Amino acid sequence: MTKRKKQTLVLTSIFALIFGMVPNVNAMHIMEGYLPGSFCIAWGVICVPFLAAGFFSIRKTLNENRKALIILAMCGAFIFVISSLKIPSVTGSCSHMTGTGMGAILFDPAAVSILGIIVLIFQAILLAHGGLTSLGANTFSMAIAGPLVSFGLFKLCQKSHINKRVSVFIAAAAGDLLTYCVTSFQLAMAYPSEQGGVFASMIKFLGVFAPTQLPLAVIEGILTVIIIIGLESFAKPELKAIGYIKET
Amino acid sequence: MIAIDKLCYYSKLRYVNACEKFLYALFTLFFCVFSKSMAAAVLVLAVNGILTVVKGGIPLSRYRHFMAVPLAFLLLSTFTIIINISRVPLDAYAIPIGSYYITSSRASLLFGLRLILTALASVSCLYFLSLNTPMTDILAVLKKFRCPELLIELMMLIYRFIFVLMNLAAVMSTAQNCRLGNKDFRTSCKSFGSMASTLFIRSMKKSNALYDAMESRCYDGKIHVLIENYPPRKKEVFLIILYETLLCLITIGRYIL
Repeated sequence: MTKRKKQTLVLTSIFALIFGMVPNVNAMHIMEGYLPGSFCIAWGVICVPFLAAGFFSIRKTLNENRKALIILAMCGAFIFVISSLKIPSVTGSCSHMTGTGMGAILFDPAAVSILGIIVLIFQAILLAHGGLTSLGANTFSMAIAGPLVSFGLFKLCQKSHINKRVSVFIAAAAGDLLTYCVTSFQLAMAYPSEQGGVFASMIKFLGVFAPTQLPLAVIEGILTVIIIIGLESFAKPELKAIGYIKET
Repeated sequence: MIAIDKLCYYSKLRYVNACEKFLYALFTLFFCVFSKSMAAAVLVLAVNGILTVVKGGIPLSRYRHFMAVPLAFLLLSTFTIIINISRVPLDAYAIPIGSYYITSSRASLLFGLRLILTALASVSCLYFLSLNTPMTDILAVLKKFRCPELLIELMMLIYRFIFVLMNLAAVMSTAQNCRLGNKDFRTSCKSFGSMASTLFIRSMKKSNALYDAMESRCYDGKIHVLIENYPPRKKEVFLIILYETLLCLITIGRYIL
């Protein structure tokens, strides 16, 4: 082997290692200890008003109807289980849904922030996805920004009389994409590039995670549509109980 | 089903006072993130590894496997940080591509290494907590720290339901696999969707049944559970304080220098 050939071999194997070693592609949880301390605190503080709103909304619902606590808990567990199941993937790596888009479409978006943070705590402790220090940043991207955008888009699509399946797809996929963009932004803010600052760094992060996250968003959209179709055909009374279908 | 949850019940440190373990993990995590020092990270990584594997009795192979879980994220993001594309070559390395360079400075390589170490050390803190403390104990500690009752109750119920739903999901996916439900991408999408919607319907039914059961046992909005209490040992508390003071000194040292 010539020197050139050896170099090519080494380079390609490094490349293959980096991209082949993606054993667990989950929605982009920032890992424990990866953000600097000040950013952990800042993102946590940003989340507080949303969480407080969610907390009071849940408490109000509970005062009216005690049974709601159990339904809420079941919904939280449902989001956790959905996000921990392996989903069919094209690339062969093992990937997971975020479930945030679906949560926002099915449940009250205020409640989703609280359910989201609880699910994130469980994911950190039981599955080591994400972490306690990065909880604030992850909560913002996955339990606040993503669901809010999903919910907004879903309502907007419904107002403009777009086909329901299409609007569910758009909402779920956009929620997932936004989560990915917000996480990249959070990482870029914390680690600006040496040349070009935050913007260049954000482009880099978006690029690095794109191969895993873009297909994931599309798959998540498709799956959410299939799930919602299934629910609408079999579970009308249950959907009424959580407020997805308004009582007439 | 969830390996971490299963292992933590076997841990030899399970019956150590939960508050002690919780505070130890949190403070170590805090100093690890704020000190930004390689020495502290290596120390924390080593101490947590020894505590979990030797004292806790978690198999080493399992522990190594767990530490590799966040590896994909760690490698991808750190590569992003240490690789730059610019017109000017920096001092560590520079690979020319046209009029641009793929380049990086020595400082940022060092920074990347430190970041990896800090992140791994922090993950080891998280694992120390989750591999040695059952979830119910963590919830009891949160209750002690005046976390709102509503949240604790919600978390307790969610924790219980996770296992109920996971069992259901496992049974369903076995059934689907038996009937070639995952033979190609199309069918597996369809199967996953139908499994998730059935799971939702079942979970709603279960929650109704559970509510009825609780109501008939005088549920009035509060779930009372007895908590087993293991008093903290003086020697352990002393060692923890000593260790945290050391980390604190390292942190302060880093900020002064």
